[in-house]
Amino acid sequence: MFDLTDWICLLVAGAPTGLFLWLGLCSLLDRVPSERAMATAVRVALGCGSVALLTLAVVMWSGSMPRLTLALGHWLSLPHYDFTVKLLFDWLAMPFILLAYMLCITVGAFALRYMHREPGYNRFFVMYAMFMVGVMITALAGTIEVLFAGWELVGLSSALLVSFFHERAAPVYNGLRIWSVYRASDAALLVAAVLLHHWSGTGDFDVLLGRQPWPHGHTPLTDVHATIVGLLFLVAAAGKSGLVPFSGWLPRAMEGPTPSSAVFYGALSIHLGAFLLLRAGPIVQRSPWVAAAVMLLGLLTAVHAMLTGRAQTDIKSALAYASLTQVGIIVVEIGLGLRWVALVHLIGHVCVRTLQFLRAPSLLHDRHQLENALGTHLHDHLDSPRHARVSPVNAWLYRLALERGYLDACLTLYVVEPLLNVFRCCDRLERYWTTFLSGRRQHRARDIAPTEIDTV
Amino acid sequence: MESTNYQSLSTLPQPSEKPIDVREKSLHRAVENAVHLLPAQGPIGVFVHHNTLHALEHLSFHDAVQYAARLYGCEPYLTKEWYGDEYARGRIRKRDLVSVIQEDLADAADETVVLPTTRFDLRLAMVCFPIPTAPSVELRWFAANTDAFRRLRADAPDEARRRILGNTRQWVEAICTPPTSSFTERTGSGQRASSRSSLTRKSAKCEKRPERRVLSNVKAVSELLERLRKEYGTLDRWTGTAWETFTVRALWEVCRAGVRLSKLKETRPPARVRHRDLLLEATGEDSDMLVHPLLIRFCAAFVDQGFSYRPLPDRELGFFRAFCRLYGQKGGPPDAWRRGLSAELRRLDEGHVTPVQSLLESLDVLGVPQVEWDSFIAATLLAMRGWAGMVHQLEIRGDRAAIAVPQGSLLDLLAVQLILERFALAYIARRSLDFREPLSRLRRVMRAAWTPPAVRTPDERAFTVFQVAQLVGWSAAKLSQLTRDEWATLVREIEGFPEGEQRRILHLAYERRFRIQVFDALMANYHDTGVSPATLPSLRSMSSTPQRQRTARRFQAIFCIDEREESIRRHLEEVEPGVETFGVAGFFGVAMYYRGVGDLHAVPLCPVVMKPQHLVEEEVIEAEREVHRWRMEVRRALGHVTHGLHVSSRMGLLGALVAVALGVFAALPLVTRVLFPWLTSRVRRVAGRFMLSQHTRLRLERSFYTDACGDDNLLHHGFTVDEMAGIVERLLRDIGLTGRFSRVVFIIGHGSSSLNNPHESAHDCGACGGGHGGPNARAFALMANDPRVRAQLKTRGLDISAETIFVGAYHNSCDDALELFDQDLVWDTHMEDILAARRALTEACQRNAHERCRRFETAPLDLSPEAAQRHVEARAEDLAQTRPEYGHATNAVCVVGRRERTRGLFLDRRVFLVSYDPATDDATSTVLARILQAVTPVCTGINLEYYFSRVDPTGYGCGTKLPHNITALLGVMDGHASDLRTGLPWQMVEIHEPVRLLMIVESPPHVLHGILQRNDALRRLCDHQWMQLATLSPQSDDISVYTRNGFARYEPESPQLPVVMASIDWYRNRREHLGFARIGCKANIDRIFQTHHNREERVFNTFTYNV
Repeated sequence: MFDLTDWICLLVAGAPTGLFLWLGLCSLLDRVPSERAMATAVRVALGCGSVALLTLAVVMWSGSMPRLTLALGHWLSLPHYDFTVKLLFDWLAMPFILLAYMLCITVGAFALRYMHREPGYNRFFVMYAMFMVGVMITALAGTIEVLFAGWELVGLSSALLVSFFHERAAPVYNGLRIWSVYRASDAALLVAAVLLHHWSGTGDFDVLLGRQPWPHGHTPLTDVHATIVGLLFLVAAAGKSGLVPFSGWLPRAMEGPTPSSAVFYGALSIHLGAFLLLRAGPIVQRSPWVAAAVMLLGLLTAVHAMLTGRAQTDIKSALAYASLTQVGIIVVEIGLGLRWVALVHLIGHVCVRTLQFLRAPSLLHDRHQLENALGTHLHDHLDSPRHARVSPVNAWLYRLALERGYLDACLTLYVVEPLLNVFRCCDRLERYWTTFLSGRRQHRARDIAPTEIDTV
Repeated sequence: MESTNYQSLSTLPQPSEKPIDVREKSLHRAVENAVHLLPAQGPIGVFVHHNTLHALEHLSFHDAVQYAARLYGCEPYLTKEWYGDEYARGRIRKRDLVSVIQEDLADAADETVVLPTTRFDLRLAMVCFPIPTAPSVELRWFAANTDAFRRLRADAPDEARRRILGNTRQWVEAICTPPTSSFTERTGSGQRASSRSSLTRKSAKCEKRPERRVLSNVKAVSELLERLRKEYGTLDRWTGTAWETFTVRALWEVCRAGVRLSKLKETRPPARVRHRDLLLEATGEDSDMLVHPLLIRFCAAFVDQGFSYRPLPDRELGFFRAFCRLYGQKGGPPDAWRRGLSAELRRLDEGHVTPVQSLLESLDVLGVPQVEWDSFIAATLLAMRGWAGMVHQLEIRGDRAAIAVPQGSLLDLLAVQLILERFALAYIARRSLDFREPLSRLRRVMRAAWTPPAVRTPDERAFTVFQVAQLVGWSAAKLSQLTRDEWATLVREIEGFPEGEQRRILHLAYERRFRIQVFDALMANYHDTGVSPATLPSLRSMSSTPQRQRTARRFQAIFCIDEREESIRRHLEEVEPGVETFGVAGFFGVAMYYRGVGDLHAVPLCPVVMKPQHLVEEEVIEAEREVHRWRMEVRRALGHVTHGLHVSSRMGLLGALVAVALGVFAALPLVTRVLFPWLTSRVRRVAGRFMLSQHTRLRLERSFYTDACGDDNLLHHGFTVDEMAGIVERLLRDIGLTGRFSRVVFIIGHGSSSLNNPHESAHDCGACGGGHGGPNARAFALMANDPRVRAQLKTRGLDISAETIFVGAYHNSCDDALELFDQDLVWDTHMEDILAARRALTEACQRNAHERCRRFETAPLDLSPEAAQRHVEARAEDLAQTRPEYGHATNAVCVVGRRERTRGLFLDRRVFLVSYDPATDDATSTVLARILQAVTPVCTGINLEYYFSRVDPTGYGCGTKLPHNITALLGVMDGHASDLRTGLPWQMVEIHEPVRLLMIVESPPHVLHGILQRNDALRRLCDHQWMQLATLSPQSDDISVYTRNGFARYEPESPQLPVVMASIDWYRNRREHLGFARIGCKANIDRIFQTHHNREERVFNTFTYNV
């Protein structure tokens, strides 16, 4: 049976889940609770959860337990497949969860006031709770399947929150765009999970990554297997963290209300890719190819984001690219094997960026204060002769930055269009065969116009 | 790669035969016309309220809103449902509607539409009830799933219902009973054919007559009759339900037949002028989705006020040239739709093609004939009107921005926009429609193939008639007797009063009810307060009455006219009945550039229409200079650190270093600011006091040595004594304070500060052009205290008592803090007076905060005044607060007159109070004329901006604040790439009752008439009904309303006001807009506050007032 520690562990993950279930069920039954009731529910759930978490942290620290697992049973057992639900509390999960709780409490308190009287108040908090559950599950996952489940919840809630203002076209359009990027990268994670099962017969991290406390650990996979799985993990992480070439979704995510931008794209969601790579550290380190690829992608992302961020003219995009720069560097650190550095960097960066996102609407106020304090204009560099003439290289780079690295256009042109063409070709073939076999002409369904899927 | 000849010049139509400069001229004219329609909002840092439809002020208000509704696709009034709700809760009453419709129709009201319904009856019924409309598909749904075609409307008036049912029954029985027809005998045998023939026989007779009647068409009715008879048996066995079903169905069939018979054509909507609209309707693909993101990015980079780290290259070459250079480079974005763009731009750049030439080219390529240029260019610019408007504003008011843009930038923008549109349109047309002809033919081809958005079908039109018939009691029997011409009249009559007109009537009624409340309140106050002719000293001699002098006031306070200051004045008068308050435009006549200690810029503090000629600086006193210098150094160092941290956090490696080393510490401000806003505000306040010297002086006076900055722009350092005397004299004469000075006179400016609020400046003082009015108040007090000024004033006949001291103060309307200036200069003899007054002012601030809190849903209704003050303090500092205050959301009325006329009235923060004493004005009313000239634009600007932002929050306003994203330091976008959003956010206007400003002037009508004759701007506003004007007689309770035919005397409706002991008794536990009430005798408020928590106890139960 469960002992006390297990109950505490369960409460950490269970509190947000309970909140999500309650809010979600109320919405499904069309009994939308009042703002006050929702506020109370959020406070109670997060309060219980954080007390449990702090207790757990103290217990683990004082008992110098580097690692705790909470097995929730074998849900399905087949000869070659075993589905176990298992939560893992270790030096990687605990700091991340502590951070997630702190941010969720802060941003939750922020949103309770910020979203006041908004028609989608309830919807926002359902998504917010779903996101929290997703983050908890991802962070605490002890098996690859559990991780995937959490990963999906995060993706779904993010996409829905981007399209929060669904009465306008742009948020829906951009939400869909993000959703499709997530789909592509999630497919990589799913394939990785299947391959892991295929090669090692289990999805349990205890086996796959070793039982040693984080960051030590060894994987039983062979070099080739580790390379393939590692690269798939990298694709999954790239999608979620907006690494090159998926970075184009990041500014699009600013369509949602400010608190969701803050917690998702400034803070937790965008770092989940890095978290995945940290979790799969042994696999990444096992193969030098993967490590090199991680490093390279991180570096590319950092350079791209830095370059792009400098040309942005709106506060939220500028912050988004600043975020991405740091995420790129964190990924480089992971590639270099500096996992503790990466973790500390991640936590510090999350705190800084969330604060900046929440203050984004004060930009004018803050800037005014700052100019008064400094006694100079902050835009002096615009008038200085240094910038009067621009070299062709600079101008070319500027356009590249203003157009956000052409990443979206390239994806559309070189990935989406060819894929669509393949599908259209298949569609034509199918039609041809059915017509041929049935011997009569069929009505042609309307072609899906390409712009409904790809973008500009 | 496909050829790009759709866009390039090779397929240009024949060169135009007209000389080029003529074309250029008409192009400039077209742009000129379109420019006026763009939003006129400048950079958001200094928010100036103005009429959103300023460009249409030459039209009457109602024409303008309807025209703008078509032009911008916005709402002219609130929705009919909204007015319906107001009607239901009694805010609009039937008598308002009756009166408004009668006035609107004048003599045409009594014309008969269908006996016995007059046009008046018809319109009244149409505005009182919702009239659903539905497309045909939905009608089918109605028929299948609702009772709409089986039962009469549940809300139909009883009389109409009785009449319809009765008439139909008589009609059927008349048809079916033996003398007319042998219907009943044949029913048994079920000969449907014969029964139909009986009706058709009847109709055959009708057809012999010259006019056709509907009945001939209603075969359906007889079929229906037959079917129901089968179901329910003979007529005598029919139940009420059966009758009702038949009645409704018959009515519906007759309406359908009637509308078809009337053969009225519907007017078709005009053809779309933009290619994009045509293409969007045909293919579902929006070329603006391709063009706008690119254009928005470039616009933002071009007008950026210094946000982005890397400025736009070649910006100084202008919009057009910079764009050509940047996007003309090779190796650019691979988007399919932009293929060939860079080559085209290189051609323009290298060929030195001017923007105007390029525009002409584009218009030719797009095949827009010259006659359509006006509408085409206007529609194109309006498609992205926020950015276009901002570029234009920076062009013409470069002085209001840190970085201006060169003249002609708007033209450049348009040229670039059209070039991009060419590519986007060609791309979409080619891909979706396989359109391979020259682009100039696209519009013609599309228009030929375009089906206009379905004109309403006859059934849809009949559905409206069917609804109306049920409301006014027209039965099938009656309608079936109408001739074609009568039907045409009927349909025309109903369709001639479309929803837009109904909403206009409802809006007028809505305004009327409020107007009457105001008038009645003013009249009642006149009778109740003893401000009656008997007690009023006769005019002219009043100000010098010795009686007045003897009952000298405890102190006097001069506030801004702002309607938000109404409540604090009222509370002050309740706390200290011996006080006298005044209202005057909040810059107090001191138009200046002001630079505070520690400020980088000097900001203009005066209405936007003025350009100050004086600079006033704040300085630290001599003794503190050294400390101050040290403080400034610390402040600068801290600023450098903060700025450095912020900048480096956005860098690469440096950012990593900062995040690793210091990142975690950011959690501290993050958590405390969000979770404990009030505590943070306290800490910040203490820290701020430490950082900035509190002992300062204004350098107010001009001296020979310091007046060096007046190089060429006539800007002087400070004021001369003459100028000061002029300012003081003018203000005191304006408000009529020329005698009876109390020992202390406060001058209280106001402003607002809040965090996380891009629209912060919109809450500031409008008379200071969106700045804080504190420095103006401080400067005025110093001027008025100056003995030389007083000596000079004495020679001009204005004797300020030597016992009187003026004290400047600043009221923060967001956190209700009050700050007194220059207290160290107060004479020792007056210390006690000031302390006592200060206590009263503080108490008034607290009560003011309490009254304001009733509007905030997050503030509990049972807050104590102290808790209310803490609540508003936290609100101002709360990062998560989207409603730090409600701003001008309650503005509605402006009263120009003596405070005695409004004192003691609970005006619910809805009234701009301008002090003016008709007794002290001269014979030609110069004072009144100049007051009106100054006050009207400010008040109507605020009022109309709120009106439009409330009426269409996303069209005229900028929608909800939550997704707002500050861009280029100039304005806000929704998300990462939207049009610049102008107007006010929803959170500022959500509680606003949109009514046009009602200005009431205490002056005889003939005087005001004279002023209107002399002041064109004011007359135009009144004549075109952008505001309402009325006069209040100085000697009696007479009120006259300005109409098209001059002033008309107002007849009171119910000049009875509820009386309460104190404001709190009236507003307690209520969140909504309140009616007016009179605050009774000297209020014993302490007692009330003690019993405050006992909710059961009410001093007066006076809720019968409103409904």
